[in-house]
Amino acid sequence: MSPAAQGSIVLIITLLMLVSGIPVAFGLGAIALAFLVIYQGFDALHVAAETLWSGLDDFTLVAIPMFVMMGAAIGSSPAGKDLYEALERWLYRVPGGLVVSNLGACAIFAALTGSSPACCAAIGKMGIPEMRKRGYPDDVATGSICAGGTLGILIPPSLTFILYGIATETSIGRLFIAGIMPGLLLTTMFMAWSIFKIWRSGFRAHAPDFRYSWKQKFESIPKIAPFLFIIAGVMYALYGGIATPSEAAGVGAALCLILAIAIYRLWKPDQIWHILRDTMRESVMILTIIATAVLFGYMLTSLYLTQTLAQGIADLHANKWVLMLLINLFLLVCGFFIPPAAIILMTSPILLPIITAAGFDPVWFGVILTINMEIGLIHPPVGLNIYIVNAIAPDVPLAKVMWGTLPYVVCMMLAIVILCIFPEIATWLPNHLMGPGK
Amino acid sequence: MDGFISAVTFVSRVAGVVGAFFIAAAVLIICDMVIERYIFNLTTIWQIDAVTYLTIAATFISSPYVLMTRGHVNVDILPLHLKPRARYVLALVTSFIALAFCVTLFVLCAAYWYEAYSERWLSNTVWRARLWIPLLSMPVGLFLLVLQYIVDIYCVMTGRTSPFGISARQDAEDVAREQAREALGGAP
Amino acid sequence: QVTLRASHQFPGGKGDVRDDMVQMLAKEMAASNLGVTVQVYPGASLFKPNDQWNATANGQLDITLFPLDYASGKVPVFSATLMPGLIRSQERAKRINKSQFMKDVRAEIEKRGVIVLSDAWFAGGVASKGGCIVKPDDMKGRKFRAAGPTFAGMWEAAGASIVSPPSNEIYNAFQTGVVNGTDTSLSTFNSMRLYEVADCLTAPGDNALWFMYQPMLMSKKSFDKLNKQQQDAILAAGKKAEAYFESKADAINQEAIKAFEDHKAKVVSLSDADYAAWLEVAKKTAYAEFAKAVPNGQKLIDEALAVK
Ligand code: NA
Ligand code: NA
Repeated sequence: MSPAAQGSIVLIITLLMLVSGIPVAFGLGAIALAFLVIYQGFDALHVAAETLWSGLDDFTLVAIPMFVMMGAAIGSSPAGKDLYEALERWLYRVPGGLVVSNLGACAIFAALTGSSPACCAAIGKMGIPEMRKRGYPDDVATGSICAGGTLGILIPPSLTFILYGIATETSIGRLFIAGIMPGLLLTTMFMAWSIFKIWRSGFRAHAPDFRYSWKQKFESIPKIAPFLFIIAGVMYALYGGIATPSEAAGVGAALCLILAIAIYRLWKPDQIWHILRDTMRESVMILTIIATAVLFGYMLTSLYLTQTLAQGIADLHANKWVLMLLINLFLLVCGFFIPPAAIILMTSPILLPIITAAGFDPVWFGVILTINMEIGLIHPPVGLNIYIVNAIAPDVPLAKVMWGTLPYVVCMMLAIVILCIFPEIATWLPNHLMGPGK
Repeated sequence: MDGFISAVTFVSRVAGVVGAFFIAAAVLIICDMVIERYIFNLTTIWQIDAVTYLTIAATFISSPYVLMTRGHVNVDILPLHLKPRARYVLALVTSFIALAFCVTLFVLCAAYWYEAYSERWLSNTVWRARLWIPLLSMPVGLFLLVLQYIVDIYCVMTGRTSPFGISARQDAEDVAREQAREALGGAP
Repeated sequence: QVTLRASHQFPGGKGDVRDDMVQMLAKEMAASNLGVTVQVYPGASLFKPNDQWNATANGQLDITLFPLDYASGKVPVFSATLMPGLIRSQERAKRINKSQFMKDVRAEIEKRGVIVLSDAWFAGGVASKGGCIVKPDDMKGRKFRAAGPTFAGMWEAAGASIVSPPSNEIYNAFQTGVVNGTDTSLSTFNSMRLYEVADCLTAPGDNALWFMYQPMLMSKKSFDKLNKQQQDAILAAGKKAEAYFESKADAINQEAIKAFEDHKAKVVSLSDADYAAWLEVAKKTAYAEFAKAVPNGQKLIDEALAVK
């Protein structure tokens, strides 16, 4: 059988398996072992255990539970509220002050956690009711938080970047820095849209009938100072010669845990257990997918399917921007229903040779991929952030949340286009700080 | 059978606690390493390996707990659009596929572990760790996972739990809402 | 019609001599018209570097080119192929290949179901930041990333703190100062572009401490499945690849040295006295450990050092 025919069979069975409701990790693993046996015989299973083991035997992967723990510790405290309140006291005179504060708080919180739903939940819990109370339109209040939450995986630390870095052997430190400016770009675009939307709907948020005194403004600083301290500490550890990403993540996790215990009094064994358990559940889920995705990747390469596909695409001699458009559409469709971890681990080893052959920068593509994953988190039917927001504000109809989110999806697509025109937005900072890449 | 179910549930819970503590231990060891290296400029050899092995061990050993608490992410578009009867059949089919995978992997990993043990393999790192110790987490975790899957299948077949954890009148939105609630307030 | 799978961890199609060697074997076999196709999987795309040994030994991988020391955790005697000071110079490496030492090493490989197609010894050195590393005393207070346990023992005994960041973070670790010294092959220094962040290279010269054996290997199971004609052809192709490497070895070393010089890094090498001083440290650490861990360890070291 030709690799093309084999490839089509594998593709169809994989899609069927993924939508069948089987846990993604076990589905990928089962397909990998089954096709190895079918096409190469039972002897091919000899390497499965070692492949599985060495897929996980990588210090870089340790960053995953560490960054998850940072988010879990901070997320279980009322830190999100303190964050946007402090911003609000300083920014309340800005048009649309509260929504700008919330988006700013999302961006700052994003620098403390590697995942989007955590970011969305932490800021939204307090931010959405407050915005609605002050008369902000429902669709802006919910949509901005949905979108702001997705910054969690673009602004470092980011689980998405870690997974991409592992799957493609790209420096995670470099990817992290590459995410900063696009993250700020998106934050600005989200803010601009929110202000425009509020202005158009006739709600004049910039003329509140109360004022914060300077005392109130400065009072808010000690509450958020520890976060800024941790963010600065982790960034300094990463780029100031102290530690590798996994080490910085470990220290960050410990500091966040200490902060949660010391400042927010989460010292009861029960509360600490909750943080540990949430960390364990999320990281084990991701790591199990990584382990079986390694088996899946081995099967694809071993049957020469990856190479056949890459060769086939190279033979098309398509224009590189047509290729980029197709890849983005493909990722967008995947994002409709497949969890981000599985998409990245399954597709990036296949996409990377295509990307580099077309002359794109792998770090830049990591950013594009991440924005695609962000879109997947906020578009129906299963965008998790939408439902988190819906659970926070159950009386806002789901359709309204989705319509409110849509303009932010457009912002993200626009950001992808901007990044295609000006790739330096992603690549300048890492090149400047870390020298030209390998 | 009830005794078996509660025994397996208990073991899976213990496994979850063990994995959570492995991750906590990994955090402490990383901090220890960073302090030793940057403050005292000491040699740090064992820490990187130990932390990596603890994370791998947590992955395998806690897997049954994560399965029990429905934490292994799945795509439930198809199950949600099926009639209850078809959904029940699909749940059994997918569970048996997953079970077969876990049993196969358990056998392969147990054989690999035995090879590492009998041939006295050492890690390829400066620490030269005895590999059978961290490798043991693979067969142990997978064995517990097999047990948990058997319990899950039995519970679906006897109607104690609903297929895919979806009750009869739920739709996609209900399930997503449930996940969101969980993400907001922690696991059940 | 037989298809053989060849795996290695080096970049494919970018002029890495190890990739060239495997590609050369594939081309030779295609040209021989004996119905043997060699499919090359570069860049660790099929197997992770560490997994290639077991896969070759049990017949799941037909051909590989990899640093044999990667398997020294599974087969301790392979540590002899990344042992401080044993080889000394690229010239001497050719003579070592014909010695009793290499006969013994090849016998150890064959005992485990793998045969050697090409011998290749890769010279390496030390890249450092903040002063060169020539004498054991230069190691005091260094944060050093070692290529393997044998060298780590020696560097540590000389006063270095051993740190082990993952290999993909070495460049960044060097730049930020997490690490200020590391040892590996010259071609790896070159492909990592370490010359951009290091300010000194201890080059091999006539007294190199660092050599690593990176042979092209074939699974005995796969070899036995070929007919006599095919077997002869593949052995001949292996020898041809070996000769190709030997013709290129000096140029590869010079290319890496030139890259360091072009980036204003100092390039030094060891004198006879420096070499002797390091050998004293090695005897107390790497050699002693090896002799303890492997039954014929001392014999192997003596055989290697005895080569003129
Ligand atoms: Na983040
Ligand atoms: Na999605």
